[in-house]
Amino acid sequence: MTALPATSEAGGARVPMGASLKPLLRLVVPAVFLVGAYAFMGPEQFVNALTRGAIYALIALGYTMVYGIIELINFAHGDMFMMGAFVSLTFLGQILGLTGSITDIARLAPLLVAAFFVSMIVMGAIGVTIERLAYKPLRGAPRLAPLITAIGVSFILQNIVMLKYGPFQTNSPKIFPSFDIVIGSAKIPALSVFIIVVALSMMVALQLFISRTRLGRAMRSTAADRDAAQLMGVNINRTIAITFLIGAALAGAAGVVNGLQYGVSRFDDGFQAGLKAFTAAVLGGIGNTVGAALGGFIIGFIEVGATVMGFSRWGPAIVFGVLVIVLVFRPSGLLGQQLGERA
Amino acid sequence: MKLARVGAALAAAAIVVSACGGSGGSKTITIGISLPLSGSDLASAGPARDGALLALKDFTLAGYTIKTLILDHAVNGIHDPQQGSKDMTTLVSDATVVGVVGPFNSSIAKVQIPISNEAGLLQCSPANTNPDLTKGDAGKQLRAKAPDKINYIRVATTDDIQGPAVAQYGINKLSLKNVAIIDDTETYGKGIADAFAAEWTKLGGTVVGREGAPKGTTDYTAILTKFAAAKPDAVFYGGVTSTGGGLVRKQMDQAGLGAAAYLGGDGIQDGNGATDGAFINIAGAAAANSFSSVAAIHDIPGAADFAAKYKAEYKVDPGSYSASGYACAQIIIAAVKAAAAKGDVTREAVRAAGTNTATKFDTILGSVSFDAVGDSSQKIISMYKVDMTAAGGKGDWIFDFQVDYK
Amino acid sequence: MSASTAVPSGRFAARRQRLAEVSSRHRSWSIVVGIAIIGAILPVLANIPPFTLATPTNAWMDGFTNAGVWVLLAIGLNLVVGVAGLLDLGYAAFFAIGAYTYAYVASPFGNSILGIEFVTKVSPDLSGLVFWPMLLVGALVAGMFGILLGAPTLRLRGDYLAIVTLGFGEIVPIVFLNSDAVTNGTNGVGGLARPALPIIGSFSALNPWPYYISMLVLVAVVMMLAYRLVESRLGRAWEAIREDELAAAASGINTVTAKLLAFALGASTAGIAGVFNASKLVTVSPDQFTFIVSFTVLAMVVLGGMGNFWGVAVGAFVIYTINNVLLKVLNQFFDAVSFPILKDIDFIQLQFLLYGLALVAMMLLRPEGLFPNSRRQRELHTQVLEPGADELTTAEATTEEGQR
Repeated sequence: MTALPATSEAGGARVPMGASLKPLLRLVVPAVFLVGAYAFMGPEQFVNALTRGAIYALIALGYTMVYGIIELINFAHGDMFMMGAFVSLTFLGQILGLTGSITDIARLAPLLVAAFFVSMIVMGAIGVTIERLAYKPLRGAPRLAPLITAIGVSFILQNIVMLKYGPFQTNSPKIFPSFDIVIGSAKIPALSVFIIVVALSMMVALQLFISRTRLGRAMRSTAADRDAAQLMGVNINRTIAITFLIGAALAGAAGVVNGLQYGVSRFDDGFQAGLKAFTAAVLGGIGNTVGAALGGFIIGFIEVGATVMGFSRWGPAIVFGVLVIVLVFRPSGLLGQQLGERA
Repeated sequence: MKLARVGAALAAAAIVVSACGGSGGSKTITIGISLPLSGSDLASAGPARDGALLALKDFTLAGYTIKTLILDHAVNGIHDPQQGSKDMTTLVSDATVVGVVGPFNSSIAKVQIPISNEAGLLQCSPANTNPDLTKGDAGKQLRAKAPDKINYIRVATTDDIQGPAVAQYGINKLSLKNVAIIDDTETYGKGIADAFAAEWTKLGGTVVGREGAPKGTTDYTAILTKFAAAKPDAVFYGGVTSTGGGLVRKQMDQAGLGAAAYLGGDGIQDGNGATDGAFINIAGAAAANSFSSVAAIHDIPGAADFAAKYKAEYKVDPGSYSASGYACAQIIIAAVKAAAAKGDVTREAVRAAGTNTATKFDTILGSVSFDAVGDSSQKIISMYKVDMTAAGGKGDWIFDFQVDYK
Repeated sequence: MSASTAVPSGRFAARRQRLAEVSSRHRSWSIVVGIAIIGAILPVLANIPPFTLATPTNAWMDGFTNAGVWVLLAIGLNLVVGVAGLLDLGYAAFFAIGAYTYAYVASPFGNSILGIEFVTKVSPDLSGLVFWPMLLVGALVAGMFGILLGAPTLRLRGDYLAIVTLGFGEIVPIVFLNSDAVTNGTNGVGGLARPALPIIGSFSALNPWPYYISMLVLVAVVMMLAYRLVESRLGRAWEAIREDELAAAASGINTVTAKLLAFALGASTAGIAGVFNASKLVTVSPDQFTFIVSFTVLAMVVLGGMGNFWGVAVGAFVIYTINNVLLKVLNQFFDAVSFPILKDIDFIQLQFLLYGLALVAMMLLRPEGLFPNSRRQRELHTQVLEPGADELTTAEATTEEGQR
């Protein structure tokens, strides 16, 4: 069906590593990396990298899920993240009228839950609507046609937000109190810990959903072979819609997190974030959810590491340089093929 | 060929139509506005346009019909040199255009000046600060066709004056010693940061960190954490609010730099805490202990009047470049009037009047005249500090100190 | 999917078919004639209302020349994406390399870096002559970078290739931005010589005609070369790789060389466009070559119809005109005709929205692009294609077979 040949199984069927060695390596390599990074950049920057990585990872998940199931590089996905941030700031700031931090945990907790809930629901709904209007009619069209509509959708979303909120940065209430958790000499912002925990738990939940539930199985089978899945009674349209729903909801969650952490959003925030998240998804092996999360964190570490070494100006160039090197040696990304997706 | 004949006939008809349409007894003159007006550039260039339009709104001249032509050279949300050049072509090919307010970015100025220079069209930039646009060989190269016929003037003082002024203020007045510098990697931001750094070192200060983060960066924590380790007394930001000026200040506290002073050029001096998207609005309470420069005298007669008029017209406070846009339009208007007083308002007459080094233009930025390359001779830099109790508790810039760099 | 293409009947179809046949038999002549006709019609259009209402004729001509830059870019990217099937999202990198190549030779700053004294010693009328050979040099340099950047991507397929090229597209402007000493950093390089010709001397910023005519000639030459290439052995190799790389390799095609050549030739076209654009703007700076440039060219190629050079040229022209001309003049236009309601809308604020809607609408209406390549169309719709369903398709298909 494709105009440009997607990476076929044949291309990615690499010499399998020793079956017993592989799981061990999966644990050892990240552990060595993390310890090394910690020793190199120190606890504060380590947490900065994790926080930044967590946001990239949440966005990258949506990218990779959509890619896995319909092989679309959804360039409007970064804008879903941006809109998620605006939904959250509208809800917290303009509807609830909050401005500063809330120290009372009994008030803070429900507010945070509500912010995530609202943003994820609204973005999920928008995601499904966009899929229905702009991508679904193009199923079976040449590969690049939906890519161009995605670019078009991205422009539309940006313009809508710009008309409503103006071309400048808009404040998002930083309701999470700013206090540090002191470990030895290191001061770790509690907000960062919260963000990392939220992101990781969403990733675990997503993983469980994909691997354990009926819908998750439908998603995997649709990704593996749409026609076969359909023959087996999987409702393809519904499955794809759900994929968009989950991807967009995760972008919405990333938007909330972004608002809490940086306290500012603008209509064009989605572009850079989307680019980084797309890179993360590819770095991890596009179509693979674990890979996308991993890629997000790796990019967080590369960027912060570049700054630590005094190359902040070269940050994006270094990220893409690493990506090129990784892909030269592993043409399907770090964890490509792991779940048997088509990519 | 039939087609060509039809085309020729239509063309002839068009010429006749346009010739008839134009003449209504009075001569039409057009003032162009060439700025990036869509996407994120709108945040800073929009107020400049509004300022210019405010000045042009009440401008009338007996015997002439005054028109404005607004052209937006942002493409896909970013100022685009190719479009900037096309817009300048549009302006120079329209014989009624006698003056242009713009452009905003120096990369656009570099493609526009060669065209407007060749056409001898007066152009006043409300925002360009890059010295290379006018001075020295670089300036001459841009004016290759008519190097001595100046047509490009600007009301903003160049980076090589403003950057050092902030450095002197920081060292002499605020007694700061160690500074960490971050810029937005754009022409204005990097230029002013370089000039600041050079002067800071010259005055005996120490630059403890120098980083760059392009526009679109939202996370400055890594850079600021790195700065914090070097324990600076102050952070200098080279850039404008929309490329990160407010965000950096906002995130400094989190990185343990909450107590450090914050210095910047006129790029972060954009209205009080109640103005949407302004530095103080974004940085919030963290904006305290911030200082910025403005290349203008402080107590301009009529400044309050201008602010009131602007607010009445647009329902918002003037932005960072509103006054500059207004001043540019004032200068072009004055040049048109001078040309009219001497005879006919032609493009050349307006250019000559606007770039006359002997003329003092009375503008909202004070009395401005232009030197032999078109730079403003107004070299007074005013320093402002944030007072969070001003503007009803929202915070505002309060005048502190001014110095004349003649 | 081609339901929107009305099935032509009788005499008209036969005529179109004959035209298509003639044009593919005399490819180069048909290109020359085609470009000449278009080149003659555009200035006429630029002289008649409603086109003169909001934009003066010279500005139209300048816009057409700019559109030509995009047409060149689209033709080049079409070689890579449309013909060889290699998705390139970083095409602006080669555009930048071409532009900077010209800047080094044709500006005082560039000369000082290269350690030569060329533009400072020679009059503008003479130094501008270097533009013509520089078109070739720019193409060569960009082509070399095409090979250099293409080499690491040889093992990659599909969208992995896309992201690596996107990476190069990001890296190249960052290098130009941050290597202050040799590129003048964010300031860019200014004071470039305008092209010159022996009799008419240096081109002028106020006279769009020399640029316009040079651009027509360039487009014609590049398009002729592109068609020659695609109809050559190499072109068939590219198409084979696009369809099935493994099968292509198995049937004896050197896929490495073919892919590298696709990158190189695509890049050199962008290099030519870069030299031309730099000579027209007389300045180069890193912000001329952002990611959005790559994106826009890709949209032009996809919208025009991948694989079809005339198609992508039209696509480039249409998108440039919509985004850079029509959406910009809506305010002036409705003002000039005093159209009620519409004249009070600030269209500048709605540009993104309208452009986005235009992209989505065009893709939904014509998913294969305006003028899809015949072979690609057949691949996509083997089951629905019937003889004569697309007049161009059958005509071209016949002659292609006939040539073998």
